[in-house]
Amino acid sequence: MAIEYRQSISTKLTLMNMLVSGVALLLACAGFFAYDQITFRQGLERTISAQAQIIASNSVSALLFNDPQSASKTLSALGSSPNITSAGILTIDRRPFAQYTRETGDEVVNLPPLQTSEVELCKFGSGHVILVREILSDEKPIGFVYLQADLREIDQRLKRYALIAFSVLMISLLAAMLISSAFRKSVAQPIIRLAETAQSVSRERNYGVRVTPTREHNELAVLIDSFNDMLTQIQQRDNALQKAHDELEERVSERTRELESSNRELEAFSYSVSHDLRAPLDTMNGFSYVLWKNEAERLAETSKEALQNIRGAAKRMSQLIDDLLNLSRVTTSTIRREKIDLSEFARSIMEELFREAPDRKVEFVAPMSTRAFADSRLLRIVMDNLLRNAWKYTSHHDHARIEFGEASKNSQTVFFVKDDGSGFDPRSANRLFQPFQRLHSTAEFPGSGVGLATVRRIVQKHGGEVWAEGVVEKGATFYFTLGSGRNDSSGRTI
Amino acid sequence: MKTRGQSRTVRWVGGVVRKHVQRRVPFQLQPYAIHLVILILLSGVFSWSQSSGPTETQVKAAYLYNFGKFVTWQTDRVVTLDSLEICVLGKDPFGTVLDSTVAGDKIGGKKIIVRRLAKVEEANSCGILFIASPEQKRLGAILTAARHLDVLTVSDMPDFAEQGGMIGLITQGNRIRFEVNLDAAEQSHLALSSELLKVATRVIGKGAPGS
Repeated sequence: MAIEYRQSISTKLTLMNMLVSGVALLLACAGFFAYDQITFRQGLERTISAQAQIIASNSVSALLFNDPQSASKTLSALGSSPNITSAGILTIDRRPFAQYTRETGDEVVNLPPLQTSEVELCKFGSGHVILVREILSDEKPIGFVYLQADLREIDQRLKRYALIAFSVLMISLLAAMLISSAFRKSVAQPIIRLAETAQSVSRERNYGVRVTPTREHNELAVLIDSFNDMLTQIQQRDNALQKAHDELEERVSERTRELESSNRELEAFSYSVSHDLRAPLDTMNGFSYVLWKNEAERLAETSKEALQNIRGAAKRMSQLIDDLLNLSRVTTSTIRREKIDLSEFARSIMEELFREAPDRKVEFVAPMSTRAFADSRLLRIVMDNLLRNAWKYTSHHDHARIEFGEASKNSQTVFFVKDDGSGFDPRSANRLFQPFQRLHSTAEFPGSGVGLATVRRIVQKHGGEVWAEGVVEKGATFYFTLGSGRNDSSGRTI
Repeated sequence: MKTRGQSRTVRWVGGVVRKHVQRRVPFQLQPYAIHLVILILLSGVFSWSQSSGPTETQVKAAYLYNFGKFVTWQTDRVVTLDSLEICVLGKDPFGTVLDSTVAGDKIGGKKIIVRRLAKVEEANSCGILFIASPEQKRLGAILTAARHLDVLTVSDMPDFAEQGGMIGLITQGNRIRFEVNLDAAEQSHLALSSELLKVATRVIGKGAPGS
């Protein structure tokens, strides 16, 4: 590619030089030749005219005294002029008087007639020129002299000129080539270096290279200096950017380490809290049960009621701790994906629910099988939470309908659990998945407010999304996706 | 020395003069025709298409006039005159021909006047003096008288130049030519142009080329 550049720029320079010098030379030659032609013709005309005048004045007596021999002798002097092919003297009534020809066949056939008051006439024909002149004796015309000269010399001159022009052209073209090759060093070479450097910079992203500056002070030098300055600036910025990037990386990893350790501490704390909270609860539960079993009949009605409340609260607290443990486990556990059937999960959970409350009239709809590639244990938690929610929030209706299924959205599989229960206000939809956020009072619908938070965490761990649509008293639909499984976060998600 | 192709050929065509007696004297035609044939053979190219050339008298009259163009008079007498006189001494052979030849013509800006003389003494203002043939018997006296007048003496009598005349007209073939006596001209302080001498058939005198 660089070689291509070199050829093109050098060739153009050389061609330009050669063209300019060639055209100038040709024009100059043409001008010189035209000038030479004109001056040669004028000179020829002058020479012939002078010869004609000499002959005219030398043949006056011959004409007057009728001596053609003398006239012929005068004419024969023209033998020393090689370009005169023929000449002659005519009497006043245009009868031939004396004639001279250099070679036989050179005779003039048609003499151009002189106009009255014209003393001399010069006529250029093809290949020859004819000059006719009156011979005067005491201002009275007594005859004519004519000379015919060939223009072979003009042809010879043309040939000589062409030869000289050609050789000068060749020499000057050679000189132009040499000169342009000398100038290539100062003009083309810096450009080539610049082009090569620019190319290597853009290809290798190496901003450390510099173009060798020229020793001259011209536009090229400015260009090269600016280019080098530009490279320096880019390099400086590159370095600053790299430094900032490194620092950022450093800070991020530091923060990450800090966060990870604090996260671990938090988890350990919450786990131990859950566990440690359990022990006194179990004690409370156990002893209140014993009290209920042994002393129920002896207790007053109000005391019985208080005991029942204690037991209920302990139960709820136990459930809350379980949910918290679940959430914490979800956070710490890693995903092991496998092929599972979500429809089957849904059926077994619904069966369990029907067993717990056989009086309820709930219509359950689900496909025969719904394949998914996800963590079996975690997905069971998800299905359990969503179906239990649906079951719970339809409990105020005499007849309910719960549907599980899959749909496709943006070429992604979306699973959903739909009910026709009490629903929710769509404006609070994003609060649903926050832990301990509840849209209904515990008295209306019991619950810890941790279930949907757990669902969201599991779905997010799978690289999926969860969202909900609902209308008050018209039911709710919970959607979730499970991601492809290619970029599962193996670590913890905050 | 030269091959035929390279040779330079000089050909000339002579103007032909027919004798004015030709028509009046038919018996002279035959030898004249023989001359013509010889001339044709010699010169190669010969123009004889002209049926009416100038007569001998006309040619002689023209010559007489043309001589004036090649002569320089050095004597004040002739130079200061505002006209050039051509004088005919003796019995005039030209008739009106000479007058018509010179009518209106000028030589060197001078008007030409034709005068006829009976005696040479009347020639003191003449530039050119034509001596008619019948004057041959008195030629010596005439030339002696003319010498002091610085006049150009011309005649068509035989051997005129030989006898001390300046220009003697002769007939060569059918052409009129002339002989020049340079010594005689010099004695009368007349300068004859080399152009004139060039076309003369003979130049007599010490300064003559080839004499």
